[in-house]
Amino acid sequence: MLHVALSNIKTYARRYIAVILAVAIGTAFLAATLSVNSSTQATLKNSLGDAYKNADLVAYPDWDLVPGAEELTELGLKDIADVRNLPEVSTAYGLAYADGLLRTADNSYGVSAQPVDPDQGLGGMELIEGRAPQGSNEIIIDASHAEEMGVSIGDVVALENGAISPANYNIVGIQRSTTNPRTSAYALAGMSEKAWQHFSGGQALITEIVVNGDGSDESLKAELEKLFAGKKMADMAVVTADEKVLNEVAQFTGGTDQLSVILLVFALIALVVTGLVVVNTFAVVIAQRTRELALLRILGAKRKQIRSSVLIEALLIGILASILGVLLAVALMAGLIQLLHVMVPEMSYAALALTPQGLAIPILVGVLMTVVAASLPARRAMKLAPLAALRPFDAASVKNRAGKARIIFGSLFVVAGASLLAYGAIQGDLVVAFLGGLVSFPGILMLASLFVPSSVSGIGKAVAGKSTAGKLAALNAVRNPGRTTATATALLIGVTLVSMIMVGGQTAKASLNNAVAAEFPVDMMVSFYDRQVSGAETKSMLEQINGVDGITASSSFNSGYADVDMGTDEMFNAEVMSVDPTSFADVALDPNIVPADGEIVYVLGSPENPTVEVGGQTLAVKNSEAMLSGNIVTEQTFSKLEIDEANQYSGILIKVDSDVNAAGVNELVTKVSAITGVESSMINGGVVMKSMFSQIIDVLLMIVSALLAVAVLIALIGVANTLSLSILERTRENSLLRALGLKKKQLRGMLATEAVLIGGVAALLGLVLGVAYGLLGARSALASMGTMTYEIPWWQLALVLLISIVAALLASVTPGRRAAKLSPVEGLAVE
Amino acid sequence: MTSETLPKTEDAVAARGLTKTYGHDSTRVEALRDVNVSFERSRFTAIMGPSGSGKSTLMHCLAGLDTADSGEIIIGGKNLLELSDDQLTEMRREQIGFVFQSFNLVPTITAKDNILLPLSLAGKKHDRDWFNTVIQALGLGDRLNHKPHELSGGQQQRVAVARALLTRPEVVFGDEPTGNLDSRTGAEVLSLMRTSTREMGQTIIMVTHDPVAASYADNVLLMKDGTIVGSIQEPTVATVTEALASLAE
Ligand SMILES: Nc1ncnc2c1ncn2[C@@H]1O[C@H](COP(=O)(O)OP(=O)(O)OP(=O)(O)O)[C@@H](O)[C@H]1O
Ligand SMILES: [Mg+2]
Repeated sequence: MLHVALSNIKTYARRYIAVILAVAIGTAFLAATLSVNSSTQATLKNSLGDAYKNADLVAYPDWDLVPGAEELTELGLKDIADVRNLPEVSTAYGLAYADGLLRTADNSYGVSAQPVDPDQGLGGMELIEGRAPQGSNEIIIDASHAEEMGVSIGDVVALENGAISPANYNIVGIQRSTTNPRTSAYALAGMSEKAWQHFSGGQALITEIVVNGDGSDESLKAELEKLFAGKKMADMAVVTADEKVLNEVAQFTGGTDQLSVILLVFALIALVVTGLVVVNTFAVVIAQRTRELALLRILGAKRKQIRSSVLIEALLIGILASILGVLLAVALMAGLIQLLHVMVPEMSYAALALTPQGLAIPILVGVLMTVVAASLPARRAMKLAPLAALRPFDAASVKNRAGKARIIFGSLFVVAGASLLAYGAIQGDLVVAFLGGLVSFPGILMLASLFVPSSVSGIGKAVAGKSTAGKLAALNAVRNPGRTTATATALLIGVTLVSMIMVGGQTAKASLNNAVAAEFPVDMMVSFYDRQVSGAETKSMLEQINGVDGITASSSFNSGYADVDMGTDEMFNAEVMSVDPTSFADVALDPNIVPADGEIVYVLGSPENPTVEVGGQTLAVKNSEAMLSGNIVTEQTFSKLEIDEANQYSGILIKVDSDVNAAGVNELVTKVSAITGVESSMINGGVVMKSMFSQIIDVLLMIVSALLAVAVLIALIGVANTLSLSILERTRENSLLRALGLKKKQLRGMLATEAVLIGGVAALLGLVLGVAYGLLGARSALASMGTMTYEIPWWQLALVLLISIVAALLASVTPGRRAAKLSPVEGLAVE
Repeated sequence: MTSETLPKTEDAVAARGLTKTYGHDSTRVEALRDVNVSFERSRFTAIMGPSGSGKSTLMHCLAGLDTADSGEIIIGGKNLLELSDDQLTEMRREQIGFVFQSFNLVPTITAKDNILLPLSLAGKKHDRDWFNTVIQALGLGDRLNHKPHELSGGQQQRVAVARALLTRPEVVFGDEPTGNLDSRTGAEVLSLMRTSTREMGQTIIMVTHDPVAASYADNVLLMKDGTIVGSIQEPTVATVTEALASLAE
């Protein structure tokens, strides 16, 4: 049947374009996911293994080799010398980094000093300019940091650390910059081993000995192991550089690659949707070929032959589309990495890595999915009676009853899943609720044929009103309920997931915001941990801060530690924060935390006694759940307390306008940071936390929505595909309508209405489901955190609906135009 | 009836200098060569001729379903060749009725909705009395709520005739309207068409291969090689058969 299948594909090529596109996108998603994984690994290998990428072996002390060992072998320069003396070793160097400060004429920078020997591989680096360091006061600096610090060969810089006093060093060479993220943050200074020994003051450890040999890796390894055994260093592991890199990568990524797992889930969703599109396309194509297939049966084709002809078609299409998809993914990834190279030159070590499995698996999955999806319609084709060829083929509508089994199982799934979901939501148990969602959603999809066509037709009738074209569109939309259901379901899956994520995210955001607001008694808090700030300075800062747009009030505080006696035997030390009650009342979000004289608002634990003794004074206790670093007293009370000399600091509390959004908060933080000289990452408080949560959730939402958008895109291709195939099927009917007085515009409108009905109703149903799942899911995830705040992002949901409708509208443009272009006579002549 | 001598106002449909060619160069076919023809109001005309003589092409052009290359076609005082597609569509909706050989009805809607389709597309109300008259005459009273696939071929054709008559168009075109029917059902439909001409004054133009069908008409036009080559008044099966035989020579 291969030749029949081939000629079919050729004849009906246009009908398969959409399905090929859908399968290709689904496969591309999977392939891209796998290649993200392998590319990340390769990139990490390039960077983490930078220091020994040209080496043969790496020897290092490993905890795992001597279980229960108290401490690891400490390698020294002497050990490296011993390794170098081995006959098979050509070069060997130790990896060690001693941190310190590098002072130039006008600034100081963090620096990592590394022992290098030009005859021993220069510590795995290469010189770009100048020469290797030899004297005890010579160093080489890596290129990018040299540029950043504005130093070059011939300059003199001072190096210091805790172990030695500052000394001057001459820069004699520039080496390339490392791509290892663990060491690239600081300037990398290479110095002779002797100089390094002095600089490190014996405090930095040699972590690895990197070895290159003349002979085979095996004999070299044996030699090294013998050496370490002789030195009684039982914990020394000797591995190839490649193995070492793999270890490092596994450590760096935490063993499992969660990003890939998450991406795989989304790829799976996209593939399920693709499968639905394939089922539908083949069902339609086979329906259109009923006569032809039945004729084959009359002419003697066996049932099995009919089926295999369909399956061979699916196989060929699957292969073609999957290969296209993989190529698409490879091109996409290569493009992205190229883009990364251009946009972020420091990331030039990012590499595209393709593994044979990474290419084969998507193709295999794509082909398998296409064939499996097509086998359903193929079975239906097989059951075709030869007589069907003779039957006129213009039945008004095809009745496809949902199988009894499907309805029973679907109902069971829905009931079971919904119960689990409800239980999970009530109990705040995310795992149970997730399981409930996992069971109920497929159940709902199984029952889709019960509610999708009736919704489409009901809404269609309501929307059509008096317009005849509208009424016809509503009828056409559910003419083949099975087809409509499958098309709509594909879209419904995507929309449900997207809107679930949106509603869940929004609710999570609102609930977290409220939880944060309940706990943080102030909007913003700046603490001067590192330096003394005088009262006058604080006053001028407060003035400046009050002048910033979006800030309503500010107040200062002093903090120190005092002994606390709670009446129990133990005395302990607790932080006490002194505030001016009047200005503090303006910035405190909860009026209950404003102390009166002689009173302490206790936030660090809740003493049971009505009074406590703090710093030698007996104070009335007022308990609060507020989240602050210290218990609050008035300035007047504070002045009477005995406060520890050490660890005193002051700070500023700020109240922010309630209508400042997340971006505005960021801006305020930057301004406050500029005024106070405190790093913006050290400024915290309620609005800061809120804006951080909002931003994290927003970014997550955006990523997840973008990933799900692939599934929605495939589903929309499905809508366009079904529509254009259905229109092809109805060419004669549409021409008849044109002959009877349907204008071109009306025809296009009719087809557009049909598309919008299917797309819009699918999106609408998806939104309803998504909102339900989102609210229940958020509740089960967050209920344990406290009171929930339910919020539905109406605008975003409306946007999803709008996009679905507009996309459906666009999907109808080409087939509609084609149908309208056909003259009635031509159309009527079509068999 | 090629009554070019009659005053034009009497004509429901008139065409002058119609030409239509298909294809290019080697595949070029002149389907219509300078056809001049007019059809008197309230007459039932049959067009006959050998296969490929251009009957369907002529009918499609006259009905505004296809466009002629040159010439003019006047229906209701308007030249079809000068109308835009929308105007032409409105023309078909209001002034022209159709009965095709097969696939006459929209399968998704009932017989009644099919009959009312041209009016509802135009957003117009139907005349209830006239509707009842037509339904009565065609004997469709008890079939109105059936979908097309629940009707026999004859009933489907009758629904199509009812639809064509309901708008009281200038002219009803039929392209072998009885071609798919057995002789008895065909006869039923044909006499209905004749009755509508006689009693309702409906102009009808019908293409047919069947001399018996043609004998129901008031006159027969004969076509050959894209031109009108003659006509028969008050045709009978015998005169028509004879004329066709002589055409074939
Ligand atoms: N779409 C077309 N493309 C090319 N040639 C065509 C087309 N339609 C008709 N013709 C040619 O124009 C000529 C007239 O065709 P037409 O269909 O009008 O004949 P007819 O008299 O209706 O024949 P029949 O009795 O077989 O229906 C024929 O030679 C036919 O081959
Ligand atoms: Mg014909």
